[in-house]
Amino acid sequence: MAPPAGQIRPAKYLASFVLIVVALYALVFLTGNGSAKPKLGIDLQGGTLVTLTARQEDGAQPSEEALNRARDLIEVRVNGLGVSGAEVVRDGNNLVITVPGADGEGAKGLGQTARLAFRKVLGQPVPAGTPATAPTSTSPAPSSSASTPPSATGESASPPPSSDAPQGRPAPNLAAQPSSTEPSSPAPSSSSAPTSTPSAPSNVDPKIAEEIQAAKAMRQSTDPQVLQQAALMLDCTQPDPLRGNDDLDKPLVTCDEKGEFKYTLAPVNPPKEDTETKADDYSNYSRLTGEDINDAVANNNPNGTGYVVNLDFKSEGGTKWAAFTSANVQQAVAVVLDGEVMSAPTIQSAITGGSTEISGKFTLKEAQNLANTLKYGALPLSFDSSEAQTVSPTLGLASLKAGLIAGGLGLALVFVYCLFYYRLLGFLTILSLILSGVVVFGVLVLLGRWIGFTLDLAGIAGFIIAIGITADSFIVFFERLKDEVREGRSFRSAVPRAWVRSRRTILSADAVSFIAAAVLYVIAVGQVKGFAFTLGMSTVLDLVVVFLVTHPLVALASKSKFLSNPKFSGLGGAARQGAAHRASVAGKPAAVKEV
Amino acid sequence: MSSVFSRLYVGNGAFDIVGKRIRWYIVSAIILLVCIGSMIFQGFNLGIDFKGGTKIALPSVSASGEAISAAAVEDVFAKAVPGKRPTSVQAVGTGDSATIQLKSSTLEQAEVTALKSALVQDLNPRGGQGSVSDSLVSASWGGEISGKALWALFWFFVLVAVFLIFYFEWQMAVGALVAVFHDVIITAGVYSIVGFEVTPATVIGLLTILGFSLYDTVVVFDKVKENTMGLLGLTRRTYAEASNLALNQTLMRSINTSLIALLPVLGLLIVGVGVLGVGTLQDLALVQMVGMIVGALSSIFIATPVLVDLKLRDPKYVAQAKRVAARRAKATGPQVAEGVESTDDEALTADLRKEKAMAAAASVPHRTAKSGDARRRPTGKRHR
Repeated sequence: MAPPAGQIRPAKYLASFVLIVVALYALVFLTGNGSAKPKLGIDLQGGTLVTLTARQEDGAQPSEEALNRARDLIEVRVNGLGVSGAEVVRDGNNLVITVPGADGEGAKGLGQTARLAFRKVLGQPVPAGTPATAPTSTSPAPSSSASTPPSATGESASPPPSSDAPQGRPAPNLAAQPSSTEPSSPAPSSSSAPTSTPSAPSNVDPKIAEEIQAAKAMRQSTDPQVLQQAALMLDCTQPDPLRGNDDLDKPLVTCDEKGEFKYTLAPVNPPKEDTETKADDYSNYSRLTGEDINDAVANNNPNGTGYVVNLDFKSEGGTKWAAFTSANVQQAVAVVLDGEVMSAPTIQSAITGGSTEISGKFTLKEAQNLANTLKYGALPLSFDSSEAQTVSPTLGLASLKAGLIAGGLGLALVFVYCLFYYRLLGFLTILSLILSGVVVFGVLVLLGRWIGFTLDLAGIAGFIIAIGITADSFIVFFERLKDEVREGRSFRSAVPRAWVRSRRTILSADAVSFIAAAVLYVIAVGQVKGFAFTLGMSTVLDLVVVFLVTHPLVALASKSKFLSNPKFSGLGGAARQGAAHRASVAGKPAAVKEV
Repeated sequence: MSSVFSRLYVGNGAFDIVGKRIRWYIVSAIILLVCIGSMIFQGFNLGIDFKGGTKIALPSVSASGEAISAAAVEDVFAKAVPGKRPTSVQAVGTGDSATIQLKSSTLEQAEVTALKSALVQDLNPRGGQGSVSDSLVSASWGGEISGKALWALFWFFVLVAVFLIFYFEWQMAVGALVAVFHDVIITAGVYSIVGFEVTPATVIGLLTILGFSLYDTVVVFDKVKENTMGLLGLTRRTYAEASNLALNQTLMRSINTSLIALLPVLGLLIVGVGVLGVGTLQDLALVQMVGMIVGALSSIFIATPVLVDLKLRDPKYVAQAKRVAARRAKATGPQVAEGVESTDDEALTADLRKEKAMAAAASVPHRTAKSGDARRRPTGKRHR
């Protein structure tokens, strides 16, 4: 049956709402992992949260590029802790590290600057997967130019005006010259790890500190035998406790970025107690760190296909680089970031002048990545720990419970008030609020999955406050309805009039609320963001519910003889007044319409 | 003849709010002065998030079921971190959520680690090592949060002003913003006077009051706009009277919406204080509570009166008010204001007709029609 003109078709609206809900929950249950749980913040599930704020020495705004690079680096470090579910998120100039669960204490020491250094490669890199077959090349014996490629990518470093050495080919790496030049001059007398650990952050918890010490004793030993042993035992799939904690004046056994090869590397600087090595001895020591680099960019390979990285040293760095490369032609040098080999090109010739070209079979992305590593390895940013907090799971659970109880209590109070004041309309309010809650929950789960939105305590508070705002739009509508009935209209004819008028008010009032939430979200940091997001989201969903549920339901109720009985609708008082108004209007017909 | 409640309910303009606006201005000026004075001379009780510091919380029950006293915690602190003293140690919360909260100046991360293990060893709280929460905040962090909050405030004002000028008119935008400003200052002032702790959650709450206070004002102004449509061509009532009528008509609505919005906040406050003792929930609830009450009052007593004053600077409205007075002087006998009525019937009928046409023409759910179109249609009725 076609609806009478001027009436809406409530069933259509309700059906479209049901469709939305069904689609929403189909997405919730059928995509992703199918678990209907929103992602909870650290303050609700327990865990560690560290906020690092970028500070530049001159106080300038850090560049986007540097911040993103720092985020990636710190994420690698966090994953190195071996805890699951850890995340690093950029928030303006801040990096927020969250580690759920009880073992996130280690995350508090991650803010130190990433260290880039150049280390000479000793011996042949060992494929990481097969530790048992490869040990021969690490022996100091002068193997007659092993034919295996020195690195997975066959990279080489040369001055940019290309030298006559063919580039991009797997350069035959003359293995490190015999032990005569090994840095064993200080003698492995004290082969146990030295007590001084200058680079280790002082603020990690004792268990991790112990692991670092143990790893150092093996992988940074000054005894070649121990190093060889360490290279055998090293497992590249495990998190590396030495990440960013290695000592620059000791050799290092480590893996490359992809976990494909294991390298034995020379120290960057001679040990402090070593007085025999002359200051101009570059045969083993590169004496170069990321601070010596001026710039690095990825470019097209001028001599062929693929990409190269052009590296430019600062003046002092260029001098050191020249001395090092001339002492180590046809040797491999490793670019080591936080104790991990990023690239190990072979030096084709002495490189003077500070400009260097690293070539290899790079894709554009790999080349850019390497250039970024070289450029930002020693971050141009330093990070201050703005906030470091650990929430115990018990406290988190208590907060979650308290938040839910508060929400329940708030909702109950609103229910009682609505029932008392609006009766039948109160029921519709409750129904609308519940449906609104259903939609909000579904959206929350999906947003947690899609954009990593986490619900924290402030967010819960946002929802609770939004209950009031949602209910407000119903009240605006109902009060309008009362006005119309008071003017003498029947419930049924009052509904469309009241709706047209209140719709405008609801839209404008919600628009203001939404502006408030949006501004907060865009500008604010930390907790404020979560709160603003939930508030803004529930404002939008409020409109959906008012338009698709509340109004159609009221329209339906107004058509039912039984339900529109003033006793149920709570409009009795207004209706009586309306009757009186009608009577008075009938008495003096000219009084209302003014001229 | 009528009780306050029925006058409220009927909303026939029985409360002369606009007429007595000077009174409200004076009252609010006094309150504002007190608040600003307190903010200048007394300042705020800033939490550790603004000053920087360390906060540690542990369950106040040990694994063996005994209560852990604040004094015991203080002793452990003195032992684990020699040379420093906690600024406060207090027991908060109830039941399972009862905790002991310890605050001190900023400690080194190593000191926090040492303190935590000492607390676990000596006091053995229920839940062991994992049950101790800590939070370390640098002083600059709070500065960043509040700095951003001030920016948010600024942009909010700009955007809302643009929205209101576009949607209503500039006088209404000014009236609404004056009211919001008034709310923010009074809420902040209450915090300063009472000495509640200011945390980032408080700042969040303060910012959302803005939205709420405007919500209320927008509802009232919407009615004012409706009541004063085409007013200049009539001599029935002045702008001040029409606004006052709008205020009265929306009074019950304002009270209702504020009450309903307050109820969940009340729940938040009860749970925040009763169960957890301290923290985000309580801070947010407190500031919202104060802000909502002030916001509801200001949308009634400040926003509309300011709007009327601004409007009456316009000679057109002054002239119209004179005409009204002149007509009343001529008329015999007192004029009784009509009860509830609408003056935008024409626009409404046009809207309704449009809607009817759309519902009849299409079987798709109707879209929101542009009301401007409806008004341009020739209706055959007189236009003013």
